[in-house]
Amino acid sequence: MGRLRRSRVHNARRDVHRAARTRVRGRDLDQIQMLDLDPKRRAELEAQPLDFEKPGLAQHYCVECAKYYETDAALTSHWRGKVHKRRCKQLKEPAYTIEESERAAGLGRETRKPTLTTAMIVEDEVPVT
Amino acid sequence: MRIEKCYFCSTSVYPGHGSAFVRNDAKVFRFCTSKCHKNFKMKRNPRKVRWTKAFRKAAGKEMTIDSTIDFEKRRNIPVRYDRELVQTTLKVMKRVSEIKKRRELAFWKNRMALSRDKHRAHRKKVLEAAKSSAVNKLLKPTTASPEASKIREKVKVPSKARSALVQGEGRSMGMDID
Repeated sequence: MGRLRRSRVHNARRDVHRAARTRVRGRDLDQIQMLDLDPKRRAELEAQPLDFEKPGLAQHYCVECAKYYETDAALTSHWRGKVHKRRCKQLKEPAYTIEESERAAGLGRETRKPTLTTAMIVEDEVPVT
Repeated sequence: MRIEKCYFCSTSVYPGHGSAFVRNDAKVFRFCTSKCHKNFKMKRNPRKVRWTKAFRKAAGKEMTIDSTIDFEKRRNIPVRYDRELVQTTLKVMKRVSEIKKRRELAFWKNRMALSRDKHRAHRKKVLEAAKSSAVNKLLKPTTASPEASKIREKVKVPSKARSALVQGEGRSMGMDID
């Protein structure tokens, strides 16, 4: 018997696929920026109770990168590293949100209070130039 | 019926089309195509991907401040059906789209004119530099001292990308047409 399997079918996509699964989705930049970086929440995250499921019993957490570390040494060396610095830079500018995507599409939000009379609504809808 | 907007490219997503991703904080991300969904999964920033509406607006390639854009709104209060209102609305929609088209053309023309001038100035500068270097070469061949070339001027380049969509960034397009 000769070779049956076709050659050149191997793609190194496995890890890329695995990293893109929904269950491994970490916290997004906008979540970190709006919630986690708040000093109160930050303190909470940095002093979590012992959790046997998490790496390092959830004692060494990097708030910016939303990542648990095994030891304090690992965490401090991570803070010195490129990945962490890059992440901090990304967090400096405002994160992209759903609202921004709508604004880019030209879809605004109605902020005015509802008016009861129909005449007012007509005015709202049709400001003819 | 509600027409949603794609999270990534900001196109309209009609009912029965596209897909949605619901994050564990109940935020709904809608996508028009698998392309947009994949780009989202790759955690790309739409503001930095050139084919998205967000990029085009943030980079000043399209109108951001204009009264014709303000008509489309997410209305959460239902309006009682009124025959006359519908008629006038339809009429106005046509008129507004007409005006919008005209303004967009004007904006584009203005943008192109500016870029043409810039391009021309750049070409002129390059040409001048080439000319002067050629003349220098002819006048004094291989007498350039190595120390003179070493001195480099430090030029500060603004690295922060500023978005025209974010308020108060100090970058909005003024337009005075019509």
